[in-house]
Amino acid sequence: MVVGDFAKEVDVLVVGAGPGGYVAAIRAAQLGRSVAIVDKDELGGVCLNRGCIPSKAIISAADRYEHMKDSAHMGLELNGEVNINMPQLISWKDSVVKKLTSGVKSLLKGNKIEIISGEVYFSHPNTVRVSTENASQTYQFNDCIIATGARPAELPILPFDGKRVLSSTEALNLQEVPKRLIVVGGGYIGLELGTAFAKLGTQVTILEGTKSLLPGTDAALTRMVTRKLKKLGVTVVTDALVQGGEVNGDEVTVNAEVKGEVKSFTGDYCLVSVGRKPNTNDIGLEDIGIELDERGFIKIDNQCRTNMEHIYAIGDCAGGALLAHKASYEGKVAAEAMCGHNSVIDYQAMPYVIFSDPEIAYTGLTEAEAKEEGYTPVVSRFAFGANGRALSLGNADGYAQIVADQETKRILGAQIVGPEASSLISEIVLAIEMGANAEDIALTIHAHPTLPETIMEAAEGVLGHAIHMVNK
Amino acid sequence: MAAFEFKLPDVGEGIHEGEVVKLYVKEGDSIEEFDTFAEIQTDKAVVEIPAPVSGTVKELRAKEGEIAIVGSVIAVFEVEGEAGEASEEAEVKEEGQPVQEEGKQAAVGTAPTMDAGKRKNVLAMPSVRKLARDLGVDITQIAGTGKHGRITAEDVHAFKTGGQVATQTAVQADHQPTPNKAKEVVIEKTKIEIEGTEERIPLRGIRRTISKRMVESKHTAPHVTIMDEVDATELIALRKWGKDLAAERDTKLTYLPFIMKAVIAGLREFPTLNASIDDENEEIILKHYYHMGLAAATDNGLMVPVIKDADRKSIFDLADEITDKATRARQMKLDPSELKGSTFTITNIGSFGGMFFTPIINYPEVAILGVGTIKEKPVAVNGEVVIRPQMFVSLSFDHRLIDGDVAARFLSRVKQLLENPKLLMMEMR
Repeated sequence: MVVGDFAKEVDVLVVGAGPGGYVAAIRAAQLGRSVAIVDKDELGGVCLNRGCIPSKAIISAADRYEHMKDSAHMGLELNGEVNINMPQLISWKDSVVKKLTSGVKSLLKGNKIEIISGEVYFSHPNTVRVSTENASQTYQFNDCIIATGARPAELPILPFDGKRVLSSTEALNLQEVPKRLIVVGGGYIGLELGTAFAKLGTQVTILEGTKSLLPGTDAALTRMVTRKLKKLGVTVVTDALVQGGEVNGDEVTVNAEVKGEVKSFTGDYCLVSVGRKPNTNDIGLEDIGIELDERGFIKIDNQCRTNMEHIYAIGDCAGGALLAHKASYEGKVAAEAMCGHNSVIDYQAMPYVIFSDPEIAYTGLTEAEAKEEGYTPVVSRFAFGANGRALSLGNADGYAQIVADQETKRILGAQIVGPEASSLISEIVLAIEMGANAEDIALTIHAHPTLPETIMEAAEGVLGHAIHMVNK
Repeated sequence: MAAFEFKLPDVGEGIHEGEVVKLYVKEGDSIEEFDTFAEIQTDKAVVEIPAPVSGTVKELRAKEGEIAIVGSVIAVFEVEGEAGEASEEAEVKEEGQPVQEEGKQAAVGTAPTMDAGKRKNVLAMPSVRKLARDLGVDITQIAGTGKHGRITAEDVHAFKTGGQVATQTAVQADHQPTPNKAKEVVIEKTKIEIEGTEERIPLRGIRRTISKRMVESKHTAPHVTIMDEVDATELIALRKWGKDLAAERDTKLTYLPFIMKAVIAGLREFPTLNASIDDENEEIILKHYYHMGLAAATDNGLMVPVIKDADRKSIFDLADEITDKATRARQMKLDPSELKGSTFTITNIGSFGGMFFTPIINYPEVAILGVGTIKEKPVAVNGEVVIRPQMFVSLSFDHRLIDGDVAARFLSRVKQLLENPKLLMMEMR
């Protein structure tokens, strides 16, 4: 502490204003605490500014562009070209982001939360220094919630240069549609953005190190996506081990070993999406004695508490599934636990959604996982091709599949690939949390004609009496 | 060396579970046969459990504050000798409740409700899981009454108030906040919101039993209390006269044996006060024996020793038995069987002061007589105000079985007998 530097006192300090941090701050304020939140960037974190929301905006634009060109079979004939004004697309995307971040700001203000801007360094178990470019201020807190999130992981052999070798952050701000895009990493980020650019006219090549896109996802789901990628002209190279690459003016060349053979792939840009790293280094956590695991994630207990009694950690920086909705959930648990409530991390189903084409969503157990856990599962799959709404949307690829316990018909999980899979999964998550069985869903009236009818049909299929398919 | 599984032995008539109040050993300790191993509290008595063998405590499956079921393995000893011969069967095995013995799980278990493989997710709605946390209940210990064992909010409440016995020991600590930390949070919270300090004492042993019993009674029996004053002039004279006689045979004569006799005379005339309701079979049980429960204050809390067949014992014998049982209750030396089977209870707070009160019925009995202090006060006798020693009595009764008129007539009869103790002579058989 510099002479004359008086620490400001805050009761609760939340570090990071992403979907974990701002939710935690609001809940703590609701519970009567006096809260300050600090972030070095815009409010809303990666999710609002550089992740979920901007990518969905671009995906929606790309989808609409594709439909505009591809609706002749509905009698909508195009006379001439549809032009892509990329700077306008990006500025529309920015306006969506702006609406949401200013919404977060007014929520924080409405809850009388102090918003602090700057970078945080923990100098003491109860003290942080917050520095901006030309100032520094010390804050002393009683309790703290760390929600610093994660950032795109870099490949040392192919470092980001912000111009040609991009992370998802820059890829979401491209001012032109690339002619050729190399995507390194076939996880959900690479897949979502790769698909969107392919629809906008980019020639996309995805290099995936394992033997399948979306490693960790049910192969049957991924197959539907791979089929669509083929139609879009996307080249998917699996078992591709990237060796390095180089930038030559307006081009970037990536070398990868594919089945024992080194191949070169050239594009205008290369998007590297090979995972995310926790933002837990360089902020003084080790200095004050916060325990991290071997991958740098903060260790927490079932109330999101770190090894230090008064410091909590939530969301990406605390590991587990790197999902915004998980961060928000943990934010509420941490804030409540901090206020003496009995809240614990106690969910029975986590939804996973991928905005691929078609969308993928899953939760709970797959058939194989259910067997591993000692269940005798029964699986029922209902195709969107037999659903009136999916057909009338002109988007009927895919299916909804429910995994249930043979004996009790309790819902154990679901895998959905198809239109609005990301929304449809919510019903299954609720069913699992409620301990519902297939009969409960089957006996619930689902509006016609809608996509959720597929869930009802799949549930009836579990019971062996679906109406709109021939039961096995 | 061999392992010896120590199963909780039968600790008293018909008792099939008890709370582990104190363990005298910890894992790794060695213990001699017949040395005190643990204190188990059943109903309202604490029983010392001796070690069955000499050896080293390899594993303690019972924990202080937990309920242990008779026949369940509470500890594993390492003893000299061959395996096989060591393990002895429990004296009593609960029918239909096999002792669970998988892994470290089964400290105090009855039959599990789910297969081991399916225990990962508790079958309960999120709001019910939260309710369990808020009430400090480990939801994994609750047996759900809903379809396929679904745990309902009612199940959680029932478990909390003691209506349901633990079914299995928790391995899933995940469902509860980490205990020590949670506790510290509470303390920290106290600093913030409440002025002054608090102390948190675990609800254990007798206090837990009392709390459970009181709630059960109030919950089940609709209580009505009527009150009256008894002119104790004659009673005082009689006791004074008898006191010296009693002293000659080392008997401490109090008012209680007389009250007991008067109550029994009343019960004979109004048999529904010496009864119970069998809810399951929807039957009224009228009891043709008179076992008097006697509420006794001890340092550990309220206990109710039972004077069996009080109708067939003399005043002096009753006095002796009351003294003996009250003393042993205070020393925690009563056998569990001496705390069971009363048909009517008398609670006497007179020596501590206080006039009328509304005693809680010692369920499943249906009535309880509360005796307050005796004090002089002006009363009207034949149109004149005179000073008389008045005794204050309160009768709580279960309105499901006893109507107000019956209770009033019973209390009037008891009052009449106490005001004219000579009448008790007429009641002798």
